[in-house]
Amino acid sequence: MPAVGSISPSPVAPAADREPVFHVRGLARVYGEGLAAVTALAGVDFDLYAAELIVLLGASGSGKSTLLNQLGGLDSPTHGTLLYRGANLAEFDEPALTSFRRDAVGFVFQAYNLIPSLTARENIALITEICRDPMPPEDALHLVGLGERMDHFPAQLSGGEQQRVAIARAIAKRPEVLLCDEPTGALDVHTGITVLEAIEHLNRELGTLTVVITHNAIIADMADRVFTLSDGRIVNVRQNAHRGSVRALAW
Amino acid sequence: MSLLDRKLLRDLRALKSQALAVALVMACGLAMMIMTRSLILSLETTRDTYYERHQFAQVFARLKRAPNAVRNQLAAIPGVATVQTGIAVQVTLDVPGLPEPAVGLLNSLPERGELILNRLHVRAGHLPAGGTARRELAVGEAFAEAHGLKPGATLSAVLNGAKQTFRLAGIVLSPEFVFEAPPGAALPDNKTYGVFWMPYKELATAFQLYGAFNSVSLTLAPGANEREIIGAVDRVLAPYGCRGAYGRINHPSHRRVDDEIRVLQGLSVAFPLVFLSVAAFMTNSVMSRQIALQREQIAMLKACGFSNRQVGGHYFKFSLAIVVAGVGLGALGGIVLGQKLVVMYHLFFRFPQLDFQLDTRVLVAAGAVSALASFGGVAGAVRRAVRLPPAEAMRPEAPASYRPALVERLGVARWFSASFRMALRNIQRRPVRSGLTCLALALATGILIVPNSFRDGVSYVIDFQWDVVQRQTVTLSLVEPEAARTIADFRHLPGVVHAEPFRFVPIELRAGPIVRRLVLQGLPAQGTLSRVIDAEPRQLTLPPRGVIMSAKLADVLQLRPGDEVVAKVLEGREREIAVPLVGLAEDFAGTAAYMELHALNRLLFEGDRISGAHVVVERSRWNEFLAAVKNTPRVAGCVIKDSIREGFRKTTAESIGLIQKIYMLFATVVAFGIVYNSARISLSERARELATLRVLGFSRGEVGAVLVGELVLLTLVALPFGLLIGSGFARGILSAVNTETVRLPLVLTPANYAFAVLVVAVASALSALFAARKLADIDLVSALKALD
Repeated sequence: MPAVGSISPSPVAPAADREPVFHVRGLARVYGEGLAAVTALAGVDFDLYAAELIVLLGASGSGKSTLLNQLGGLDSPTHGTLLYRGANLAEFDEPALTSFRRDAVGFVFQAYNLIPSLTARENIALITEICRDPMPPEDALHLVGLGERMDHFPAQLSGGEQQRVAIARAIAKRPEVLLCDEPTGALDVHTGITVLEAIEHLNRELGTLTVVITHNAIIADMADRVFTLSDGRIVNVRQNAHRGSVRALAW
Repeated sequence: MSLLDRKLLRDLRALKSQALAVALVMACGLAMMIMTRSLILSLETTRDTYYERHQFAQVFARLKRAPNAVRNQLAAIPGVATVQTGIAVQVTLDVPGLPEPAVGLLNSLPERGELILNRLHVRAGHLPAGGTARRELAVGEAFAEAHGLKPGATLSAVLNGAKQTFRLAGIVLSPEFVFEAPPGAALPDNKTYGVFWMPYKELATAFQLYGAFNSVSLTLAPGANEREIIGAVDRVLAPYGCRGAYGRINHPSHRRVDDEIRVLQGLSVAFPLVFLSVAAFMTNSVMSRQIALQREQIAMLKACGFSNRQVGGHYFKFSLAIVVAGVGLGALGGIVLGQKLVVMYHLFFRFPQLDFQLDTRVLVAAGAVSALASFGGVAGAVRRAVRLPPAEAMRPEAPASYRPALVERLGVARWFSASFRMALRNIQRRPVRSGLTCLALALATGILIVPNSFRDGVSYVIDFQWDVVQRQTVTLSLVEPEAARTIADFRHLPGVVHAEPFRFVPIELRAGPIVRRLVLQGLPAQGTLSRVIDAEPRQLTLPPRGVIMSAKLADVLQLRPGDEVVAKVLEGREREIAVPLVGLAEDFAGTAAYMELHALNRLLFEGDRISGAHVVVERSRWNEFLAAVKNTPRVAGCVIKDSIREGFRKTTAESIGLIQKIYMLFATVVAFGIVYNSARISLSERARELATLRVLGFSRGEVGAVLVGELVLLTLVALPFGLLIGSGFARGILSAVNTETVRLPLVLTPANYAFAVLVVAVASALSALFAARKLADIDLVSALKALD
């Protein structure tokens, strides 16, 4: 239930009439036991809706990667509720998690993680071969502006190009949610912009719920909502009335 | 312990299963080498000590009869050190509990004093006392054991037509009969052939040889020329019916021991070297990977002031640890297996004592070779690592560059799945390593072929030699050759349904400098019992002229069909004739020469005579038949085919069977080691890639398929090569171990190939399973992190 009249906009908002993609309540993740226990997530609540662009901000160790891993089905919560389209991810077994990742989630890694022995097109085809309703790899590459470099191997592409291939790989399966962990972390400012543009463009074009982790507070202006994490809690939620364009954000 | 060494221990612990796989492969090669070389050493030193302590003679001669005075003529030959004369006669024995007659070789003990040459080793009881009428015998250990005879037992022998009963005074061993088998027989049959010693006077009197001798042994003075002395002995003894003197090389027992050593030599080098090279390659791949993984650590160590030497030394120590484990396990395995095998030699060879002696020189040399090989394997990787400037080494390695694989450019790429392409390109990007892995897999397949080809060869010999070649039930030999019509007497023995005559004549074959003594067999042109078969295999018809011989004998004499060979008849009227070699026979035990029966008799100028007959006996009248044979004094020997076959099965086949099992174990260990190691290295190199695929939605099975795809491809390529290599190994090793006494044919069956493929396939599957289990441990979250 949305908390009406709260001072800061609730992470549970904004459109109560819509069905959330993720419904999260009291989500906690504790690593280890007893004295050695480390609380990475200390109970967070939020709902995420289709077509939103969410940015997670926070210092290193604040819990944003742990949160992203929970959403991506890479890790299971210690406590709390984590519903994806009404289904409890915490109760998924290994094969169910695999098919969740296969069909619903697109990942973009900081280090791109392309398969060096496959060309750009093949890196995408590798994934589209195994999922239900993919787009042709060529279309995915055109979407990220790499239609000309389809048959290049990763070693023949620049860092930004590699990351765009990785994004094309992530969206080619038409995922419901796109998770990006510091997608520009390994790139210079200019290249980072082209990558962010690609993410933003896809979010608008395809209406994919997109969650981006970043250190860069300025990037946050391109988001619908910005969650700031600290010590495993969401300490601030900012709702942007208007999403700034990436170009504009970059001066 | 320095901190670097502590790091070494912990790294080793982390790599324990791979290090163990390498050490085990190395251990297999070393164990094989140490086992065979130590057995060679054990046999050689035991034989040499035995020969020396018991004064084994160097030149031997048999003759009809010469007065004792001739002994002085022999002693006077320049270069002769010691001469010993005596009597040796073959008699028929009646052993309690043995239905068929047995053959005994009775040797004389000197009238005064002890034997000077070929001295006996008394195992139990005592030597028969001369000069008494107690009728005592000493018996060779193999025969005594075969019949459970103890000193005090009694035994009947027919001496010159008169049956006499003897008491066994003692059980003895003689350096002349380390291998106790009738002359010319490749296989022992200790139930029907025994060696005995009795006082000269009793033996000589029974055969009207008192004051004479028919057997000579002598030793040479240092530096004497054996060939010259043999010639001189022949000249002295020619008037007395000497069949020609011969040296140790033609001595049946000595030759058999020599051949066994040759077999071991054939097994001791090439095959273990294959294992050791595979181990060196595996060390190299494990260490290269380890060093690649520790790139940043190496940079850090160098940045902190460790010298190249210290860093290099650290990784050499790493491989040294593997070598030490391999050498330790190998030595242990070699000693344990050697001790097991040495026991087996008691089946064949009778030494006073045959103990396993570890060949420490080989142990040290093999250890050093292994260490060098694996250091050589590591050197390149270490050099590359220490050469990197620290700053560069701290950075992650640049992404590997790939190209479309060669086969893809042929235009067939569209049918390939992405994971198949990944495998293809990975293989092509590192052609040397892929090639070596492929070679190692092929070797693993190949070495699996060898032991089973031994097994198949043995079973082929058992069937071929005793079902295809020899189809008689029994071979009966006469005391002296008799007229051809005697065959009728054989046919009239109870239970005999078919009989075919043969004429056996001892001959010496000479081709250039090479001389061999053997029995020339005269057989019916198209016999149905003892047949002459070629390599096809197809029965050969013995032509009216010329000789057919064992292919191995022709090989030794360096003869080809069409060549002439000089045959010296060593019986009756001595004569030399040149006969053409007209065909090659396939046989596996001993060597033989065959002629058509009448053609042989014509050569001998003796009229139609036979030495015995091969007969087929009805099972139902078997005992009746044996009883009749026992009571036929003209029959000197009775060789039952099935007991020879059984003897072969129990001795040769069993020893080869044991070697086969040991080799099989080793080959399987190597096959698993190679495949497992390749899978582990591939897993380590591609951990990040595989984790990424998991995050992107690949199931564990699909990622496993990507991981093993490359291995499966390499295995598929390696298998046919492996079968080829294995066939080559089998051919090489069999030709190295094939001797004139026993040979194995090269038999390569589909089942053998299938088994090798199966083992490698199972090894691959299990290794893939292991790797897949490791895959479950891959940290998915780590894929999200940046390279660090």
